[in-house]
Amino acid sequence: MANLTTRFFGLELKSPVIAASSSMTGNPEQIKKLAEAGAGAIVLKSIFEEEIYQQLQEELSLRPAIHSDAEYLDYFDYVIKDETLKKYVQLVADVKKAIDIPVIASVNCVSSGEWTLFAKKLEDAGADAIELNLFIVPSDAEKSNEYNEQFYFNTVKKVKEKVSIPVTIKISYYFSNLAKIAGELSETGISGITIFNRFFSPDIDINKEELVTANVLSQADEYLLPLRWTGILANQVKCDLAATTGIHSAGTAIKFLLAGASAVQVASVLYSEGAGAITRMNKEIATWMDKKQYRRIDDFKGSLNMTNAKNAAYFERVQFMKYFGGKEF
Amino acid sequence: MSDQKEYLKAEREKEWRVELRNKIKNRERTDIPRVKMPEMDPLERIKYQDREVNQGLSVAQAQREASRCMDCVNPTCMEGCPVSINIPKFVKYIDKGDFLSAAKTLKETSALPAVCGRVCPQEKQCESHCFYIQKLKKEPVAIGYLERFAADYERESGQMSVPETAPKNGIKIAAIGSGPASLSFAGDMIKRGYDVTVFEALHEIGGVLKYGIPEFRLPNKIVDVEIEILKKMGVKFETNFIVGRTASFDDLKAESFEAFFVASGAGLPNFMNIPGENYNGILSSNEYLTRVNLMNAASSDFDTPVFRGKNVAVIGGGNTAMDSVRTAKRLGAERAMIIYRRSREEMPARVEEVKHAEEEGVEFLNLNNPVEYFADAKGHVSRVRLQRMELGEPDASGRRRPVPVEGSEYDIAADLVIVAVGVSPNPLIPKALPELKISRWRTIEVEQDKMQSSLPELFAGGDIVRGGATVILAMGDGRKAAASMHEYLQQKSQIINHKS
Amino acid sequence: MNKIVEKDFFSSKVARFVVEAPRIARSRKPGHFIILRVDEKGERIPLTITDADAKAGTITLVVQKVGVSSEKLCALNPGDFIHDVVGPLGRATDIKKVGTILACGGGVGVAPLFPIVQGFKKAGNRVVSILAARNKDLIILEDEIRKWSDEVIIMTDDGSYGKKGLVTAGAEEVILREKVDECIAIGPAVMMKFTSLLTKKYGIPTQASLNAMMVDGTGMCGACRVSVGGQTRFTCIDGPEFDAHQIDFDELMLRLGGYTELEKEAYQKYFESSK
Repeated sequence: MANLTTRFFGLELKSPVIAASSSMTGNPEQIKKLAEAGAGAIVLKSIFEEEIYQQLQEELSLRPAIHSDAEYLDYFDYVIKDETLKKYVQLVADVKKAIDIPVIASVNCVSSGEWTLFAKKLEDAGADAIELNLFIVPSDAEKSNEYNEQFYFNTVKKVKEKVSIPVTIKISYYFSNLAKIAGELSETGISGITIFNRFFSPDIDINKEELVTANVLSQADEYLLPLRWTGILANQVKCDLAATTGIHSAGTAIKFLLAGASAVQVASVLYSEGAGAITRMNKEIATWMDKKQYRRIDDFKGSLNMTNAKNAAYFERVQFMKYFGGKEF
Repeated sequence: MSDQKEYLKAEREKEWRVELRNKIKNRERTDIPRVKMPEMDPLERIKYQDREVNQGLSVAQAQREASRCMDCVNPTCMEGCPVSINIPKFVKYIDKGDFLSAAKTLKETSALPAVCGRVCPQEKQCESHCFYIQKLKKEPVAIGYLERFAADYERESGQMSVPETAPKNGIKIAAIGSGPASLSFAGDMIKRGYDVTVFEALHEIGGVLKYGIPEFRLPNKIVDVEIEILKKMGVKFETNFIVGRTASFDDLKAESFEAFFVASGAGLPNFMNIPGENYNGILSSNEYLTRVNLMNAASSDFDTPVFRGKNVAVIGGGNTAMDSVRTAKRLGAERAMIIYRRSREEMPARVEEVKHAEEEGVEFLNLNNPVEYFADAKGHVSRVRLQRMELGEPDASGRRRPVPVEGSEYDIAADLVIVAVGVSPNPLIPKALPELKISRWRTIEVEQDKMQSSLPELFAGGDIVRGGATVILAMGDGRKAAASMHEYLQQKSQIINHKS
Repeated sequence: MNKIVEKDFFSSKVARFVVEAPRIARSRKPGHFIILRVDEKGERIPLTITDADAKAGTITLVVQKVGVSSEKLCALNPGDFIHDVVGPLGRATDIKKVGTILACGGGVGVAPLFPIVQGFKKAGNRVVSILAARNKDLIILEDEIRKWSDEVIIMTDDGSYGKKGLVTAGAEEVILREKVDECIAIGPAVMMKFTSLLTKKYGIPTQASLNAMMVDGTGMCGACRVSVGGQTRFTCIDGPEFDAHQIDFDELMLRLGGYTELEKEAYQKYFESSK
């Protein structure tokens, strides 16, 4: 009988299927369902540094004139931050009471300012680990590579200094040297890297000639990008890897495990199918393992990773030339 | 409002005003430069907690400055005043030499002119609307200095007018809190003949005027003179009395109080909730200023202690931060620093306070923000970790947003830190009245023109309604609430009379 | 101005005062405290209301001489006036019938413990009270506590009265022999810390009443701030009682020592000037 236990977030998980951070994981009722459906862990809905700012904006524009003293509003974002953090700490505590599986607090940052330092409060509230969602889109031409990269290292360093629970990061693919950065980040003592965070995508409505929101839920074929990089990074990082985006079926989940991931994080499929998707995926993974006579995840994990980087790039180039270069190899 | 316009016009047409206007040509008036307020020498004044920096205009200076005022047909200065003081009238009385009438004019609208003249941010209010700055691009008439002059003159002349009061109507009303809003309210209601009691939680009357604003800006004895006048008029003051705790609202109603004005202020200090903030030597500005201003902690005659730091860091950029850092300087700080995350220009403090602070040797560390505090072996703060900031996009209030600069952290030595990042409404009254409608930010919700809360017999004003604002706005609320409560009580008694 | 009606000494260091304060006597509930100023130059200091007589319009305060302000107060006599007294402040004790209460009082902490013991007994609980102090002289209010307890255990460090040992020893004995539904611990911070650690071990909900330093006592200054469950709370508004298992006692003790140097100097000066 197949054993689905795996290791991620520095913790033993009973299933490689993790409920990723989304609005579903902001509600204790929903979370309970996900836990009962067999999720390996729950990553709580993210708390955003930017959210504080957005709320401040709303407050400033909605305020009646009677509340507009400049000195009173000057540090009002701290008041909002305090309130928001209190609510999140309460969420962590409430969820911990309701379920048995690991509860991961998710912190979304755009700077390594004092925002990161409340991680200790999350630990005190009972979080089993912290996922840092490191979230910058490098669209500012004024900022150099080094400056942007510093953000990642500073943030990890600061949080690790404050807490003793495991810290993992979720990053984007916007690096000119992703393999190098991932490798270096994996040596900072973090317990895992999840690739990749999925940004909001703008789209264009040509009739209205307006910017609109693109599809919020992932499409099934979006998994190809993180799949490739799972294969490339699996042996180049010192910590565990997990992958996310486009994982809608057990088959896809297995692909990632074969490529070298220790776990996958799912969100969109939960929206479209409900918590039952996790139960289904667990069952199908187990069935496949039984068929292949694998007893444990480790029996097949990483067997299809691209073992060394030089080969991987060469392999890809060669395949590309073969299919599209019009030459016989 | 057209009554107002008519009234202003009528006043302006009076002979003495016309005469003054005709005395000098406007060309000559506008050539006179704005008066410079005599100030105590910076290095001298930091030796004293209780010596005012601004020493007041002389009679000659005041009259000359008052003559600059062109007595505009449409006095835009009044639009800038939150309580619509009849500015041209009082300024012209000073021009004429009739200073006591100037003071009387002020008192028609403002209960505490000696206070406002000192603490109002005139550069954002009346003076910013003056014709000189609006149209001539010259320095405005020094309305604030003149207001102070008239009020001080009257006080020092010993001829302070005690306003007349209407015959007693026997209706008991209460004001809760004894700060500017309540003092203003009490003054108006006692004139109308009501039986007014002001309840104050602390042992001193005056609220923020006493515990918050330092002596070198607003001497406590000036506040006391105003309070004496109110007492003379018949206002009763009860200190050490917390309405909602010492006695409930129901208790007071049983004692025949018919209506209440709540002005309990925004006294709850905000902290930043950053690591190390609870080490010893890190105080809220409220605590620091209360120790020094209210409890006289700087004097060895008084028992309350206060830390005298050598390296003092004050976090914030408003008037409270200025008051705190300048107090620290006077208490012997070698380095007294302002740590503010935005630029100098964006600091909300009164321009004059910033100028005075700089003259006194205060260091301004703009575009810096604390992220963590460190302590010595005894748990007393010894270092602050600062992070540099840069200004990003403007936010909804139009001010540019401070954004942390990656990797820019550095430490400075500090053995006293004052956190002056704002206050929140005092929770005592809302807790005592669960049925009172409170906004999501814990201020009391009132109907804006009437200052009446969701409980018809309860009116509110000042910081408990606004969050945190200025003395003059609090006073304006007090006056509005008085007018509104008067109407309410009159209607109520008519109904009762009608019924009986 | 509040007149002192009665005064007596429990020991050379601890005095009891009965003070006129009719409104406070009427409004107060167990757990409330007052802030007083002995004279116009005095500090504002908090003291728990040990007892009150609404009919007579008086409140009872118990003071231990630890510094200038408490010395000044203890030097006053019946007929003298305390310049300012304000209250009742703080959140009243949540008194309800839960079963068995274990009330632990350390030293002068028994004074604030008394009204709580009385309240819980009146509510129909079984009350076991432990009074602890360094020696016999420092045990106070024993008779009053006995009147409202089903059992009283006395612990002294030196064994000069009752059993020899710390309050925690006495408490553990009770916990091991019977079911305790709730515990109250009041006394020096270190005593509350260790009592709390003990009850945490046995999973007994515990309230501690904190003696943080205060200036105004009405929520205005933040001097009394403590960390409870990782959040900053104001002792004068949210307390003085808190869930003991969530209190950061180490931080409290650090903050209590914040003015030690200045206090020592002042105390020294006071003694020299009164010679």
